Amino acid sequence: MRQIGKLTRRIFLQGGLATVALLLWNGFRGPTKAWAADPFSGTDFVGKTREGKHSSFYINFWKPMRRINPETWTLKISGLCETSKTFTLGELRALPMRSQSSRLKCVECWSARAEWGGFSPKELEPMVRPHASAQGVVFHCGDEYKEYLPLEALHQDRVLLAHTMNGAPLSDAHGFPLRLIAPAKYGYKNPKAILEMEYVDEQQVGTWSKIGPYSPDGTILPGWDHPLEYGKEARRIPGGEITY
Amino acid sequence: MKPLALFAFLVLVPSPAYSSEMVEVPAGEFEMGNNADRYALPKKTLRLGAFSIDRFEVTNKEFQQQFSNHSFWKGSGAHPVTNITWDQAKTYCEQVGKRLPTEEEWEKSARGTDARLYPWGNEPLHKKPHPFYSGIIKRKVGLNKKDTSPYGVRDMAGSVWEWTESGKNGEKVARGGLWNHHLDYEYGKTFDRNLIAPSERFIFLGFRCAKSEN
Repeated sequence: MRQIGKLTRRIFLQGGLATVALLLWNGFRGPTKAWAADPFSGTDFVGKTREGKHSSFYINFWKPMRRINPETWTLKISGLCETSKTFTLGELRALPMRSQSSRLKCVECWSARAEWGGFSPKELEPMVRPHASAQGVVFHCGDEYKEYLPLEALHQDRVLLAHTMNGAPLSDAHGFPLRLIAPAKYGYKNPKAILEMEYVDEQQVGTWSKIGPYSPDGTILPGWDHPLEYGKEARRIPGGEITY
Repeated sequence: MKPLALFAFLVLVPSPAYSSEMVEVPAGEFEMGNNADRYALPKKTLRLGAFSIDRFEVTNKEFQQQFSNHSFWKGSGAHPVTNITWDQAKTYCEQVGKRLPTEEEWEKSARGTDARLYPWGNEPLHKKPHPFYSGIIKRKVGLNKKDTSPYGVRDMAGSVWEWTESGKNGEKVARGGLWNHHLDYEYGKTFDRNLIAPSERFIFLGFRCAKSEN
């Protein structure tokens, strides 16, 4: 029985070996076919890639991770709340759903737009009743990534816990079964493959801000964007959610 | 300066009343806009009457004096106030007997009459505005003495963006620039502008006030 979302050393090494083998195999097949698919296609793992179908919407992961089993996955809600609780995917899909078109903007400059479907993080609160002292949520993800968002940010109208993308269930690469969509924040504040949401009473620094020179706030700043569907042509952006 | 002394200087020294200090910009013509940048307004010569503008952006402490429920981290009283809507900025200015500057006034205050690209001249500063960091770190207003316009107005290329009175199609014009490694002052030219919905609040967006000279 494999462990969902927990990346052991053995699993990591297995994934690494599988990736190397796939890369070598693709290399032997020649340059034309070498990048027809991303290196994780056909494997039991997902990880960072910009290849194959993902060339139009890049995929970033903190670490390669084993694909999540939808039958055993649950979302755990923990920390400073009255009722710690787990939700099955079916229970989450039954919550009032809305969809929105929004652009995911990576701090590495690229961006891509999709139609996301899901529910507001506020929908969970009557069921778990966060303490008055709770200031924000730490998201624990399948790739061992952690990210923090304050409740104020999670309560914004355009923020979504998404389980569909472009009308279909989220793919493994895009964060199956559940990811956060916060369109005014850089991609690293939009955690994927969420396993647990932990209510906490003080600001915490997420994985990406810990290891790199990235702001814990993560608001998209005025500057430039290079949207993938427009051939990465540089566009000026005013900061916050990108509207084109 | 030793770390302890620096800490004491930054945290313990009381913040002066920055926004009470205004700079007079005399009446006259100036060049506005830039034809080489498709995001800027087209180049034109404008004549403005005399006006005064705050030398510094409004700080957290000053904003709290008008809006007592405004909170900020200890030690950030002299940082520019941000995360406020256009209406809040406008109300603040009116409560202290001023108004928001127009986009034209803001640009003249930043670039003077010689159409300079940056408040200090035409070349980016050698020192990066915010090395090795992607994101905003707010600092005490007026900290970078090189970021000074011909009229002595501070922080018009760095620090934070600023609301103005001007707008278009329901949005308001923001002017200014950021301390940001990725941007490297390239997006802090005197004619750079953004249109932002007045209800938005951002960590990178503050303001300063102006006053007509009668």
